[in-house]
Amino acid sequence: MKRVVAVTAALSIIGFIIYVMAAGFGTDPHEVPFMMKNKPAPNFIIKRLDKEGQINLADYKGKPVVLNFWATWCQPCKVEQPVLDWAAQTYGDKAVFIGIVFEDTEQNTRSFLQQNGAVYAQVFDPRSTVAVDYAVSGVPETYFINRQGIIVKKYIYPFQSPAQFTEQIQEILE
Amino acid sequence: MIALVLSLVLAQGYAPLRQGQDPLDSVREQRVQAVGKKLRCAVCQGVSIADSPASMARAQLDKVRELVAEGKNDQEIFDYFVERYGEWALMEPKKSGITLGLWLAPVLVLVLGVLLIISSTKKPAAPVAAATEEPADDYLAKVRADLEK
Repeated sequence: MKRVVAVTAALSIIGFIIYVMAAGFGTDPHEVPFMMKNKPAPNFIIKRLDKEGQINLADYKGKPVVLNFWATWCQPCKVEQPVLDWAAQTYGDKAVFIGIVFEDTEQNTRSFLQQNGAVYAQVFDPRSTVAVDYAVSGVPETYFINRQGIIVKKYIYPFQSPAQFTEQIQEILE
Repeated sequence: MIALVLSLVLAQGYAPLRQGQDPLDSVREQRVQAVGKKLRCAVCQGVSIADSPASMARAQLDKVRELVAEGKNDQEIFDYFVERYGEWALMEPKKSGITLGLWLAPVLVLVLGVLLIISSTKKPAAPVAAATEEPADDYLAKVRADLEK
């Protein structure tokens, strides 16, 4: 009887340790968890840079929103810009597209937009407070918000093709 | 694909440095820095937002400042960051759930080892045949009976 108890206890401890190790080592410690999934998108009211005025996210409740965080110094952001321009032209009647420039200066952003133009709304987050509210952990990052104002997913890589973008946006268009 | 990733990484620029918000009064600013030391910078991995020079860390510290100014207590500020970045945001994770298991695992390994050592050293010795035991041999029994006569 004593032997059965000892073997059971030993197996339990070994099983527990294997479980803990698997849970601990099965995750990438450098990967920032995406905790904003299925949470309401934090509201913001910030200045537009593509034209006069401000953007209040709450005004778009009832419409899907694509929120792209970018910066003028970020090369991958420039790589994905043609895809996002294409997406705004293709899906602009079904979803609202907003570019949020953060970790940058207003002057850099204005001159970038003057040179390259803006197909969709561009706003400036001067102290990156909106980026912190959304738990942005790199650049570029694109958030997909559904009609109910819930963050459905985020895409942390630059879009390299229209097909890639089309695949990602489907969920919020439903 | 590798070439594309490498070109993107190598061509990646840097965010312009910027100042954080103006510090609060000395008592509250001390709290901001103390809380900031316990929160991990989102873009620079193992460095706290109080110690990192990264622009994003300045932004996160500004958020701490804003929450302190609003009268939030330390736990409420930690909760704000944990809600967004998970426990990953804490420089010292909470000792609960899986994390508690990670803390306990070495202790359990030690306990298991000690139990194994004890059980192996306490093995009962093999029984030794009693010296006085009667032989089952008929001849010897007969000899013994003759001697007793």
